[in-house]
Amino acid sequence: MDTTDLTTAPAGSKTIATTTKTVLREAGIGIALIALIIVFSFTPHFLSSSNVTNILTQVTINLVLSIGMTFVILIGGIDLSVGSVLSFCAVVAGTVMTLPGLDPAVAVFLATISAIVAGIGFGLLNGLISAWWAIPSFIVTLGTLNIARGAALQVTNASTIYSFPAAFNAFGSQTFYGIPLLFLIALVLVAIGWFVLTKTVFGRVLYGIGNNEEAARLAGHNVFFYKVAAFTICGVLVGIGAIIYMARLNIASPIIGIGFELNAIAAVIIGGTSLSGGRGSVVGTLLGACIIGVLANGLILLGLSDFMRQMITGFVIILAVILDKYRERLTKA
Amino acid sequence: MENTETAGASAPAPAGAVVEPVLELSGVKKRFGGVVALNGVSFSLRPGEVHALVGENGAGKSTLIKILCGIIQRDAGSITLGGEAYDPHTPGDAKKAGIQVVHQEFNLLPYLSVAENICFEDMPRKAFGMVDFRTLYEKARKALDAIGLGDVDVRRPVESLGVAHRQLVEIARALMGESRILILDEPTATLTARETERLFQIIAALKAKGVAVVFVSHHLNEVFSICDRVTVLRNGESVMTADIAATTTDQLVTNMVGRQLAAAMAASRDLDTGGRTALSLRNLRHPASPHAEGVSFDLRYGEILGIAGLVGSGRTELLRSIFAADLPLSGTLERDGQPRRYSNPKQAIRDGIGFVTEDRKEEGLILDMAIAANVTLASLRKVSRLGLLNKREETRLAQQLGGEIKLKYGNTADPVSTLSGGNQQKVVLAKWLANNPKILLLDEPTRGVDVGAKAEIYALLRGLSEKGLALLIVSSELPELITLSDRILVMSKHRIAGEVAREDFSEERILNFAYKDERNHGHH
Repeated sequence: MDTTDLTTAPAGSKTIATTTKTVLREAGIGIALIALIIVFSFTPHFLSSSNVTNILTQVTINLVLSIGMTFVILIGGIDLSVGSVLSFCAVVAGTVMTLPGLDPAVAVFLATISAIVAGIGFGLLNGLISAWWAIPSFIVTLGTLNIARGAALQVTNASTIYSFPAAFNAFGSQTFYGIPLLFLIALVLVAIGWFVLTKTVFGRVLYGIGNNEEAARLAGHNVFFYKVAAFTICGVLVGIGAIIYMARLNIASPIIGIGFELNAIAAVIIGGTSLSGGRGSVVGTLLGACIIGVLANGLILLGLSDFMRQMITGFVIILAVILDKYRERLTKA
Repeated sequence: MENTETAGASAPAPAGAVVEPVLELSGVKKRFGGVVALNGVSFSLRPGEVHALVGENGAGKSTLIKILCGIIQRDAGSITLGGEAYDPHTPGDAKKAGIQVVHQEFNLLPYLSVAENICFEDMPRKAFGMVDFRTLYEKARKALDAIGLGDVDVRRPVESLGVAHRQLVEIARALMGESRILILDEPTATLTARETERLFQIIAALKAKGVAVVFVSHHLNEVFSICDRVTVLRNGESVMTADIAATTTDQLVTNMVGRQLAAAMAASRDLDTGGRTALSLRNLRHPASPHAEGVSFDLRYGEILGIAGLVGSGRTELLRSIFAADLPLSGTLERDGQPRRYSNPKQAIRDGIGFVTEDRKEEGLILDMAIAANVTLASLRKVSRLGLLNKREETRLAQQLGGEIKLKYGNTADPVSTLSGGNQQKVVLAKWLANNPKILLLDEPTRGVDVGAKAEIYALLRGLSEKGLALLIVSSELPELITLSDRILVMSKHRIAGEVAREDFSEERILNFAYKDERNHGHH
């Protein structure tokens, strides 16, 4: 450091305060998750290795979709189409995978590519329409939600596709020390998402646009490009999510994925990302998705019905946002 | 650094003993977390007086007003209104008690009509709770006529009005209620000279009716022209109250900043007319401009060119069309003699242009982001490789520029929203300086900036022009333009109405050009 003429006020104390504040956000959600785990660990079986595997399996798909949703919500958008697009991607991939006369490895590879391409297609559509005509993404994706669902039904004639290669099914149920392989893939995606959002210029500008679009534009950033990119990234993750879904459940059907978008939004919100954009993180989203998964599993172990579980999850979403308001007040002071 | 503590200089005038104050504050304190906003404010307001409240940004004026109108509650101290304890918990309490406030930020409902806005607190009703539109429009019409806004249709949606008119509608709205005390927070910031004059007449009329007016302003000349008494706040304390006749600008400024201001405000400039032409406009026309001829002028390196004109004369639009924030309708732009047609701000920035916008909160800064991130927002390439941010390099650049512009901050990782207005404005400047621009467009570069920071920004801008930068400055404060500029162009109705050379600078001359079209209009 050779900057001698700095007019820095007493720095030390403030530095610590600022960093703690940023860490506090995620730490708070982490503490909530740990508290939940401790509470449920009093029920038998909760911490058994088979149940942990089960929870992580349940969390995986929602987590993958939530990562993409985080990008979209960070720029102040929303993507309601992910559930339908997931089903569309799945039936496209399923159709490719079951094409007669293909080598299984080639079939799976092509199917994966086609699912991602289909996801990108819808992501581009969402992004281009909402950015070009400045239409709220809520409305655009409400439209593509219907388009994708209809397309999935049309392509398959409302039938379910199954009998995928055996190796593909085996891949879907693989575990490492009790951790599902698919969950590990999701964790890698979280890491990539975290890296992109915190370490790259691209991520920085996304946050900037979410906070103040006009300031970002006047600073020379191509807001249109970034908006389309965020939706496209979300589409890529929906494509990956579709393949994960197929690997786990061995079917591809035009009626899967209903309501997935709401679970993904819930995970993002519980994870502390602001619905108005500009604030949040993928790590928070990971914790949010885990909270939803742990809650669902634990409540069932407690003997509550699935209906009760749904009600409680609803309360948790609201509670998370209320807590966020208090956290905001704390950081502002 | 010497501190001239002239606390409580002139005690209340003898008249104070005769007139009971309508509002009396003593020892009012307020903290936000660890930050002390008010640290013992005493203040008394007499019926029928206009009392100025002045102080640098962050001195506590806004906090004090928020307490008086019930938005926040004080921690300690006493307030009496008309001799009784006054402790409002909601803005409604304050209104009922007869305290009306016109806030600095607009609180209008943009999609509702002017009339609905004016009467929003007390909508005239018919049976079944239906709105009585006839009475509504009548009341609103009367309210607007009373403040001389006869030309505004009360049915118009507020969003279709310009800022100056919105401000006046806001005042009309405040005056609808029964007012014992009217608080005006920076009411003239968006008004032109003529509208300000109109506002002053309204204030005089209210005063005659016995209403006490609290007048918050950065413009000391206004304070001296319409106020009876003045109270200065500094660092959350009331440091001086005096009759306006018994004080001077210097005394007020000294009390506001707590130290003698450097003579920076009045330094003279050597005219350097030898610079090459940096930017040349020919008939550049913004989409909002009614005239096909547009705007033409040349800007040289090392020159500070001021743009004067009334609100709505097309000054901001001019800067926006140069920067391609709005695409010009027609006309040409040459940069270093080469014709250019920027299709977005990015291209203008690459071509060495920076744009310090009028509204730093809406367009200039990303408030929740770190100081460093704001500084590098327009030059992320400099602090990154292959798309990866180099945070250490970013911090270094922010600290280096922070030092150059004398930014007062704790840590470059703090959100920029923690800074005072003047320092926020410096961050906006730093953002563009990080790009080593050749031309800086500045729109109201010292709006909402306190006196001390203002002088620093002036010195900074002069330094930049001495380094050879070409500066184009739009300002509504004529003294500012006169202090800074080498040349002033006066705009009117999106055209250049006149040019004034430095040796001919005078407010009168500039205003003559600014009002030229208006006056011609009046003769029709």
